[in-house]
Amino acid sequence: MRADLYHRLVVAALVALLAVPVLATLAYSLAGNWGATILPDSFSVRWYLQLWHDPRFLSAFGHSLLISVATLLLSTLVIVPAVFVVFYRFPALDRTMNLLILLPFAVPPVVSSVGLLQLYADGPLPLVGTPWILIGCYFTIALPFMYRTLADSLRGMNLHDLMDAAHLLGASTPRAFLLVVAPNLRTGLMASLFLSFSFLLGEFVFANILVGTRYETLQVYLYSVRMTSGHFTSAIVMSYFVFTLVLTWFATRLGKQESQA
Amino acid sequence: MSYVNVTGLARRFGGTTVFENVGFSLDKGEFVTLLGPSGCGKSTLLRCLAGLSRPDAGRIVVAGDDITDSVPQRRGIGMVFQNYALFPTMTVAANIGFGLRMQRLPADDIERKLATVIDLVELRGKESHYPHQLSGGQRQRVALARALVVEPRILLLDEPLSALDARIRANLREQIRDIQRRLDLTTLFVTHDQEEAMILSDRIFVMDKGKIVQADAAETVYTQPATEFVARFMGSCNLLDAAACTRLFGHGIDGHLAIRPESIELLAAAEAGADDLPATIRQHQLLGNVIRYQVESRGTVLLVDRLNRGRDDLLPRGSEVGLRIRREDMREVG
Ligand SMILES: Nc1ncnc2c1ncn2[C@@H]1O[C@H](COP(=O)(O)OP(=O)(O)O)[C@@H](O)[C@H]1O
Ligand SMILES: [Mg+2]
Repeated sequence: MRADLYHRLVVAALVALLAVPVLATLAYSLAGNWGATILPDSFSVRWYLQLWHDPRFLSAFGHSLLISVATLLLSTLVIVPAVFVVFYRFPALDRTMNLLILLPFAVPPVVSSVGLLQLYADGPLPLVGTPWILIGCYFTIALPFMYRTLADSLRGMNLHDLMDAAHLLGASTPRAFLLVVAPNLRTGLMASLFLSFSFLLGEFVFANILVGTRYETLQVYLYSVRMTSGHFTSAIVMSYFVFTLVLTWFATRLGKQESQA
Repeated sequence: MSYVNVTGLARRFGGTTVFENVGFSLDKGEFVTLLGPSGCGKSTLLRCLAGLSRPDAGRIVVAGDDITDSVPQRRGIGMVFQNYALFPTMTVAANIGFGLRMQRLPADDIERKLATVIDLVELRGKESHYPHQLSGGQRQRVALARALVVEPRILLLDEPLSALDARIRANLREQIRDIQRRLDLTTLFVTHDQEEAMILSDRIFVMDKGKIVQADAAETVYTQPATEFVARFMGSCNLLDAAACTRLFGHGIDGHLAIRPESIELLAAAEAGADDLPATIRQHQLLGNVIRYQVESRGTVLLVDRLNRGRDDLLPRGSEVGLRIRREDMREVG
């Protein structure tokens, strides 16, 4: 009983600790004027109104969404078949893939972005400053999340027997994949997509170095308006926070559904 | 000419040969069991027949057409896997109808065939369940129905019952055999359980280390094992080498002499004649309806089975007895 109480206290303290900055930001974003007092003088939603009416913010948000969605579309089209081929035909490649997908983590973004800057500044593929370079670069960030999740789903099912059964019942390999294997990957795929999505939405280093204001994304926008008003930036952060919160909630719900099935 | 003819079949993985020069034939409507210990190559052989594994040599001919190089989709072979291999995201009906949809049959044909096969495997009412909502026995019946509904020329079953518990296994075993008879379906059933093989089969192919060492009716395989391995594998057996033979019967032998424990008669010492062997009871084991004695005669321990007729009947340790073994119950094996 006492131990239980202790555990609850620790958890409560932790939650409170983590919640304080969020709540403070929320309060600040809703405060009309907050100077030398403990509590704000007035509350208003004007920072939010101002934010959501700012065409620059809206376009930055749109850019971020567009780049993230395009990246995830590309990732799905490339990675799903690739993981399937690895597991079905070349299981020995799984080890190599596991090393490969760690590379984006092994090299700090600042370093690799400098490399990318040199490679794509001119020459045959002058991509720097365009959203395309971000899509390619974000692909490598999404890859580990997606590969891991999809690989786990494939390991968890009886891939070879399922494919064999489908073949014997008259299905070609692509049909067997689409009808039998792909539906099994759906929940795992969705969960990893949501996870990658919120991660990509928060990406700043690559976006800032490779593209910057030439195709402004959410984080670059946030960075450039950091000096305007604390209330205003708080409203940005809160909007972004709520957005990712909803996404994460979706992702975990999907994850739960899968573990129940 | 038999319905299925397999000749000179071989399969190697890298340098190791799983089997070599395997040949057999099946008649139309025959139920044959492929029996052997785990790892002897049964699944690999089945997969070669189904086209899921490519044999390194040999031919497979079904109803006169050579299917050795056909893709699995065109062989007309149905298969049931040990772990069911049901499609987890599909309902029972969708699982069973999968093969029909691949054939692009009209919807009402599919409905009709589904209804028939669902009745056949007694899964009425479960059509909209998902595999994870079914018991093991039900899952295997779905797998069976899924293989049957496309009317295969041959049905292959790879240890379909070994994941089930004993009672369900016995039931499903009967059901499979019954359906097979009704459909007159040529069936190759893989198992490592000799009892299952004997109950089910028209013929048993006993496989050992990649060779079919005996292919005979169940009774023949049991009473006239071709090799020491078969004798040992098909139930318990006394296997006597040359030295033991000489001690017991006064003459040697090439290979081994196989005597089933139930074919040896236990006599009271007084009843034993000059041709019977004098022996002493060393131990007994209660196997339910049978008591298994370990009996020593002339320095050799033999197993002798006797029906369990109650307490009074039990022969105590150390009893002097006689053993009567008929000539025709002794079998020389390689
Ligand atoms: N894909 C494979 N690669 C390498 N060796 C294999 C493969 N499949 C089976 N084997 C080997 O072939 C032998 C027979 O296996 P299997 O046919 O599954 O035996 P059984 O079904 O009788 O238990 C085993 O020694 C196994 O290790
Ligand atoms: Mg096997």
